Amino acid sequence: MITVDRVSKTRSRTRILHDVTFEARPGRVTGFLGPNGAGKTSTLRILLGLDRPESGAALICGRPYRKLDRPLTTIGALLDGSGAHRARTARAHLRWVAASNGLPDSRADEVLEIVGLTGDARKRAGRFSLGMSRRLGLATALLGDPEVLVLDEPVNGLDPVGIRWMREFLRNSAAQGRTVLLSSHLMSELAEIADDVIVIDKGRIVARGSLAEVTGDHRTLEDAFFALTATEAVRPW
Amino acid sequence: MVSRVRAELRKLLGLPTARVGLVLGTLTAPAIVLLNAPYTRRAIAAGTLTDTSDLGLRDLGVGLIGPMVLGVIAVSSEYTSTSQHAPGARQLTATLTAVPDRLRLLVAKTAALVLVVAAQAAVAATATLGLTQVLHGDHVPVPAPARVAGAILYWTLTALLAYAITLITRNGIVPLTLLVINSTVVSVSYLLTKITDLASYLPDIVGAQMFIRDADFPVEIAPLTAGLVMTAWVAVLLAIGAVLFQRRDA
Repeated sequence: MITVDRVSKTRSRTRILHDVTFEARPGRVTGFLGPNGAGKTSTLRILLGLDRPESGAALICGRPYRKLDRPLTTIGALLDGSGAHRARTARAHLRWVAASNGLPDSRADEVLEIVGLTGDARKRAGRFSLGMSRRLGLATALLGDPEVLVLDEPVNGLDPVGIRWMREFLRNSAAQGRTVLLSSHLMSELAEIADDVIVIDKGRIVARGSLAEVTGDHRTLEDAFFALTATEAVRPW
Repeated sequence: MVSRVRAELRKLLGLPTARVGLVLGTLTAPAIVLLNAPYTRRAIAAGTLTDTSDLGLRDLGVGLIGPMVLGVIAVSSEYTSTSQHAPGARQLTATLTAVPDRLRLLVAKTAALVLVVAAQAAVAATATLGLTQVLHGDHVPVPAPARVAGAILYWTLTALLAYAITLITRNGIVPLTLLVINSTVVSVSYLLTKITDLASYLPDIVGAQMFIRDADFPVEIAPLTAGLVMTAWVAVLLAIGAVLFQRRDA
C-alpha cells in the first residue's frame, strides 16, 4: 500500500509538485501517467526517501521510507539506470545490496534468474545495454521479495520481447497481491497494464481512478489524457 | 549494523580503483625502503645521516596515496554516473534505497573505511619498519610501539580527511588531485609553514608529528596534542559532510 498525501516540492524557486495526493493499492497495477517533466520522477524520488518534500508525506505500508528497517523486504524500486557502479559485475552489485539488508548471497543468483540475466552475472554493469541495465535494476528491486514495487518508466529501452516480459511480470506480481506503482509517459502501454491510473500534469494530479473511470467517455486513455491536460495534440515541429 | 558494514566493505573492496589504492598504499613505502637501501647505507657509513630514529617511519609517507584514494573513492563511487544511457543515474540511488537512514549509512561507510585503512596501515608499517630493521638494523633503533600506532592513526585520519572532503564536494577528482599533489609534488601546507607558524596546525603537517620527531617543524607539537588537533580537523569536516549529506536531495 502506498499513500502520497499532499506532497509539495519546490526546486530552484519553481514549484514542481502541488499537493500531490494518491494511493496505490495491493493486488493492483497503478499507472502514474504524465508527460515528461510533469513530476512523476520527482514524486517517486520523494516516495523513496531520496528527496525531501517541502510539505506533505509519502508512506509505504503506513511508514515513511526513511523509517523502514531492511526496506528491501518491503519495497523494491527501479529508477533510471541499474544503480550498479560501472566497474562492478551484476552479481557483485546484487550481493552488496543483499548484504546491506541481511539477505543471503544466494538471492543474487535467484533474482538474476528471474530477470533472465544468469548468463551475464559476471559481466560488468558498465558494459550492459540499456535493456540489460533495466533488468539488473529490476533484479535489485526483487532481492527482498518485496510486497510493493515502484518502477519509473520500466519499459524504457526494452525491446518488444522485454516489454512483453515486463508487462506479464508486473501483472503477475499484482495478481499475487503485490502493490505495483509504475510511471510512464506511454499511454497505450499503460492502458495495457494498469488497473488504476493517476494522471499528473505540471506537478498537479488532474485525474485518478480505475482505468475505466479515467478514460471515461473518451475513446482511449490517450484521448482522455489530452482532454484532461488540455494539451492540444499538435504537431511538435 | 554488522550487515551494513559488511555491505560497505564489499562495495569498497569490489572497486578496481580501491584495489589499486590498496596495493599502491601497501607496497610503495616498503619498495622505497628497498630502493633507497644502498644510498641509506652509504649515508650512515659516511656519517651524514646521524639521527636514524625516524628512518622507516619517514618512508611511510609515500604510501599515503593509498588511504587518500580509498577515502575519496568510498564516497565518489556513489556519485559517478553508472552508464551512458542514464547520465543522471548513480550508485547512490541503490545505496539509499537499501539503507535510507543516512546517518546509519554514514556510520557503516566510515566504519568500513577505517577497518580497511587501519589494516592497510598496519601491514604497510610492519613491512616498512621490518624491512628497515632487516636492512639497517645495526644503526636504527626499533621504533616505540606508540610511534607505530601514531603512524597507523595518521593513515586512518588521512583517509577520513579525504573521505570527509569528498562528502562535501560529491566529486572525487578535485579532492584527490589536491591531496595527492599536496602530499607528493608540492606540499602547499608545508610551504605555508614557511609563511606562518599557524600552518603547523594544518591537518597533514600536525598529524605527522604524532610519529616523526626530527623534521624541521617550525613549531614543535607533542605527539598527543598533534593527534588531537588532526582528529579535531577530521571531526569538524566529517560533521559538515554528514550534515550536508543528511540535508541534500540525493
